[in-house]
Amino acid sequence: MPALALDRPSDRMAPTAAGDATPAITLDRITVRFTTERGTVTALDGVDLSVQPGGFVTLLGPSGCGKSTLLRVVADLIAPSSGSVRVLGGDASVARERRDIGFVFQDAALLPWRTAQQNVELPLEVGGGRAQPGKRSPRELLELVGLAGWENAYPHELSGGMRQRVSIARALVNDPKLLLMDEPFGALDEITRDRLNEELLRVWEETGTTILFVTHSIYEAAFLGQEVLLLAARPGRVRELVPVDLPAPRQIAMRETRAFVELVAHLRRVLETC
Amino acid sequence: MSLRATDALQMGGAFAEDAEAQARFEGTQRMLAWRRRLLPIAAVVGLLVVWEIAVVVFDIKPFIAPAPSMVAKVLAAKFGMLMSNLLPTAIEALSGFLLGNAAAIAIATAFVYKRTLEEAFFPVAVMINTIPVVAKAPILVLLLGNGMEPKIAIAALICFFPTLVNMTRGLRDVSPQQLELMRILSASPREVFIKLRLKNALPYLFSALKIAASTAVIGAIVGEWIGATAGIGALIIQATYNFDSPLLYATIVVGSAFSATFFGVISWAERRLLKWNVGHAA
Repeated sequence: MPALALDRPSDRMAPTAAGDATPAITLDRITVRFTTERGTVTALDGVDLSVQPGGFVTLLGPSGCGKSTLLRVVADLIAPSSGSVRVLGGDASVARERRDIGFVFQDAALLPWRTAQQNVELPLEVGGGRAQPGKRSPRELLELVGLAGWENAYPHELSGGMRQRVSIARALVNDPKLLLMDEPFGALDEITRDRLNEELLRVWEETGTTILFVTHSIYEAAFLGQEVLLLAARPGRVRELVPVDLPAPRQIAMRETRAFVELVAHLRRVLETC
Repeated sequence: MSLRATDALQMGGAFAEDAEAQARFEGTQRMLAWRRRLLPIAAVVGLLVVWEIAVVVFDIKPFIAPAPSMVAKVLAAKFGMLMSNLLPTAIEALSGFLLGNAAAIAIATAFVYKRTLEEAFFPVAVMINTIPVVAKAPILVLLLGNGMEPKIAIAALICFFPTLVNMTRGLRDVSPQQLELMRILSASPREVFIKLRLKNALPYLFSALKIAASTAVIGAIVGEWIGATAGIGALIIQATYNFDSPLLYATIVVGSAFSATFFGVISWAERRLLKWNVGHAA
């Protein structure tokens, strides 16, 4: 992996250009079927995806389109029924065991009996010898996500937005090359969400991580992603891969620009046919 | 970026800026705390006074219902004898408590990892639990003899069921996302158990332990009714047959005081160990 942390974000704005680097994620005709009491459900049907190192791809689609399932296939939490998964040039399970994958859950999934700092330290305590610490200490990571001074607070003392910040710090503690985020800001109010969106872009620039981000908000998908992968539902399949051509650094005010409004309108039109 | 004022307000006192308002806030808090402590004490003292007056006014015979003052006199006069009878009961209750809860925790763990075991044995546990204590006691005396063993067994059995049910739920009720997190971290089954399931089960366990603290003492006393020469239960039976009501009441006071202390110790341990749970417990 190249040391992307030092690159300016503007240098990384052409993820689709055919580079020499191995893609961070390559999905080839991924199909996932679940067997339930009412029969077999096809969650994903022949999904292809390629994400370049240092890229930021958002997954957008109606509920039931298999966004979360796709994320879990990449994280080696769900095995695909057919198709091949390559993560960071190897098997998804190898990337997981090397701690190259960080995962942020929708409800933060903090352990309520641990303080903010102890939650960030959890990945360093479990998993046997795999737990090599990253460049930043848990304390520095809490500072990075804006929680300096809250190290000893328990999750029940934190607001929803602050809990999600802790969970992002925890996902970053092993310096993952890939960050998978499953509607992390879906349960937050709009003001907090906007603020965290801007901060996530800043964290992405500072860490140089590749991010795959699931959302059901059109604005969030367009604002964060360098590319938006639109998925159609029942069965989940790729509808369109939309490149986002907005200048860096992105700010919330950019949402009023013509380019952004047109992009959102396009995404909405495609979504209506999904 | 910095945290907004609203975030800071969530933790510190509401008037962190204003010293005078802060002092007033703390004063009110102190008054409320004293009120919480004094109200039940005042109620108990009031009831005792009413009882004392009623015994005198209606000229109630001591063997029917002794006055609180008479019970207090017996408590003081026979304190040594009462304590030497509390000792065996306390040993039986504590041993039963430890044994019953340890067995319940072990079996709950087995249930969580092997559903088949739960399906097979949970109905058996329910059936044993439906047998009244007074019926279990003679069976156990027949099985285990006349020593402390049957009393410990009864106390253990009475603790067992609530802990089994609560502990099984606590170990199982971890969120799917927390389990996914542990898998992403390649955590071993042992780590999942110790760092996730066991911690998650602690609030459930303490709910059960608080019930068990008082029922274990009841179990030991009921066991002593069936056949014992010493203990709170034996003393209750003797005092009843001798129409020695003041001694009967004094014995009950000693037994209840022990139960309440036991409960208090468990509650104290809960508050110490589960500081993170203050939002949910209470």
